[in-house]
Amino acid sequence: MSHLPKPDASLFLASSVHDMKNSISVLQDTIRRLLLKAPPDECGEYREMSQMLYETQRINGNLIQLLTLYKFGHDLYPFNPETQEIAEFARSAVSHVTPLLTSRQIALEVEIDSDCYWEFDADLVNGIVVHAMNNAVQYTRDALHLQIAPVDDALEIRIEDNGRGFPQHMVDDGIAAMRGINFSTGSTGLGLYFAAVVAQMHCNRKERGSIRLENGGKLGGGCFILRLP
Amino acid sequence: MIAATTFGGGDVDTQLIAKSTFLVIDDFLGMRGMLSSVLRNCGAHPKSIDTASNGPEAIQQLAKRRYDIVLCDFNLGAGQNGMQVLEEAKFKNLIGPSCCWIMVTAEKTVDTVMGTVEVQPDAYLIKPVTEAVLTARIARIKAKKEAFVDIDRAISSRDYLKAIRLCEERAAVDKANAIELLRIKCDLQMQSGQSDKARQTYEKILAARDVPWAQLGLARIHQQASRHDAACQLLEQLIEQNRSFLDAYDSLAESYQALGENEKAETILDRAVALSPNSHSRQRAIGELALKTGKLDRAEKAFRKTLKLAEHSARKTPDAYLGLARTVGAKADPQEALNVLHQMDKLFDNDEARLRSKSVEGYVYHQNGLARQAAEAARELAGMLDRSSVRPDPQASREMAELLLVAGNRDKGLALLRAEVMNNPDDTHTVDAVQAIFRKAGLAEEGSNLVESSRKEAGELMNTGILLARGGNYPEAIDKMRAALERMPRNVRLLLNSAHVMLSYMEHDGLQAALLREAKKNLLAANQLAPAEPRFAELMQRLDALQGR
Repeated sequence: MSHLPKPDASLFLASSVHDMKNSISVLQDTIRRLLLKAPPDECGEYREMSQMLYETQRINGNLIQLLTLYKFGHDLYPFNPETQEIAEFARSAVSHVTPLLTSRQIALEVEIDSDCYWEFDADLVNGIVVHAMNNAVQYTRDALHLQIAPVDDALEIRIEDNGRGFPQHMVDDGIAAMRGINFSTGSTGLGLYFAAVVAQMHCNRKERGSIRLENGGKLGGGCFILRLP
Repeated sequence: MIAATTFGGGDVDTQLIAKSTFLVIDDFLGMRGMLSSVLRNCGAHPKSIDTASNGPEAIQQLAKRRYDIVLCDFNLGAGQNGMQVLEEAKFKNLIGPSCCWIMVTAEKTVDTVMGTVEVQPDAYLIKPVTEAVLTARIARIKAKKEAFVDIDRAISSRDYLKAIRLCEERAAVDKANAIELLRIKCDLQMQSGQSDKARQTYEKILAARDVPWAQLGLARIHQQASRHDAACQLLEQLIEQNRSFLDAYDSLAESYQALGENEKAETILDRAVALSPNSHSRQRAIGELALKTGKLDRAEKAFRKTLKLAEHSARKTPDAYLGLARTVGAKADPQEALNVLHQMDKLFDNDEARLRSKSVEGYVYHQNGLARQAAEAARELAGMLDRSSVRPDPQASREMAELLLVAGNRDKGLALLRAEVMNNPDDTHTVDAVQAIFRKAGLAEEGSNLVESSRKEAGELMNTGILLARGGNYPEAIDKMRAALERMPRNVRLLLNSAHVMLSYMEHDGLQAALLREAKKNLLAANQLAPAEPRFAELMQRLDALQGR
């Protein structure tokens, strides 16, 4: 062993994540397909499979976020904001969570302007929105609301639910409180940290993007808000 | 407000997919199955979906059947990657402009999303790919291709002014593609000698948003005008804010080289390679730079890496072989240089490559004191030049002249260099390069004389036509200019002047179809040699006006 260099996990991070992602994609797709075929009886296999789908989506989302943060740190991420048609962007993001929503019988309302275009990195923002919707599915009672619209010279993406909302200290402390790992709730803070970093990267004419949490909104539960200048 | 369940793609999109043919390229069996089933769920007919597991298989399939849509994984294991398959398919003309090529990647990296300027897929999709994403993306690409058909046609027939007009018209109504259209418009303005207008467009874009390519565009305008200090300053800032923007690194390295700051250029290229290790053109740039500064070990390493990276590329050029042969020749290993050239000869079967290979071969002999072999190579080269109709580019001409001057066939060498100067009498870069060859051959004084007399002769030839035209004798002016172009076919000023005289003649005496074609041919030749030349756009406008009359 002595001739081996000091272990450096980052060397393998990129290649292993790449490999794992391929496997998870296939796994995810298989579950989605089985879900489509299975009868939606609430207590049986259907419920378990939908939980499996949720878990694979979480793994996939976390892997992408880890790998992307690694790339940000080494200037290896090809950040490219491009004009997006908001309707198409929303359709694509929603398609990643539709099977999960259907299986849990959660209603989703999407509120967008059909003639709205904005500049951002669609892959990164899609990752944030899907992650936030997946997260909201865990805490909502039975409804989600996705709203995308320009507000004061920035594009606001709001993901709202009708659950009990965020703990008050999270809303008060903002991003500062989001980095700590909380094993009791299973929250690593990765998702919010990632969202905050990506929001910051979107910079236009000296103004930077941001995220914030609120309670209330249209459905009276938790609201996650991403602002892109 | 739209409920999630009805929030799918339109019927039109599904119909579009139902009548399309597909090729799925992925080295992973599970992935091929998954992408095929996604396509079937989108409405594709099972018989319309073929699959391939590697580059050669894909190329075979593409040669047999015309596909409307190709889904290709970037990472195909050993051998070609997805980008190289696309390159080869385009190079061999296996896919037409209406084919949608979608690159599928597991993750987004600088390497996976950076095509060359000429070869770009229509879209990148990150796995997992859902039905909704794929359907929407295909519909969007198709719509964009239809919207851009006229623009693409105008560009490929090099009708830049029309293409610019079409971009402007479309950008006014097409919000989704407005920025992309502006980018194309700026590129076209730069290519047609209208850098002033391009600068205005870039500045307008930057007033509304921070757009890296517009900042790069401003830097390139500085470069075109040889304001390399200003370009470096802008590009340094741009890289500071966009650390993965590789085009900016390449431009910055060019400007540092133009300023003679080779160390800085080297550092910048190294940083770019660290971000994207698989670009063969950048490795070659490192090799050329190291050869120039005499860092032979570094040059050899870079050229060998270039060859390895380009192994599976359909678009490889002989340059890295020539660079490597020169490098090992300079390292006093003529045998290895010959091996390299021999490999190159097997791959590139055309007159120009053979001429260049022979001149480097002879030069390596000369450099290593093998006078007899050098003279033999020079003799062979002279014979090849007599038999070939190829007009080698400036770099190749100078390489050949370099050998002919030092190894016997001096008159032929002088003639080549004379032609070089006459083609570019006002270009200091050419004149310096020619003088350097004379100095290396120990003929500095002779060099100065040749440059002087060539410039004088070129000037006289160019003026004769202009003076005749001024006197109103257009037919004779045009004849004289044609004769002058025989002597100096790459002389940009002469090409433009001749077009100007032909157009004036027709404006005065009426349209002549053959003469109009000739004027256009000369204009396009001038533009290809010197895209920044502003007279091109102005003359093209006059040509358009004549045509419309």
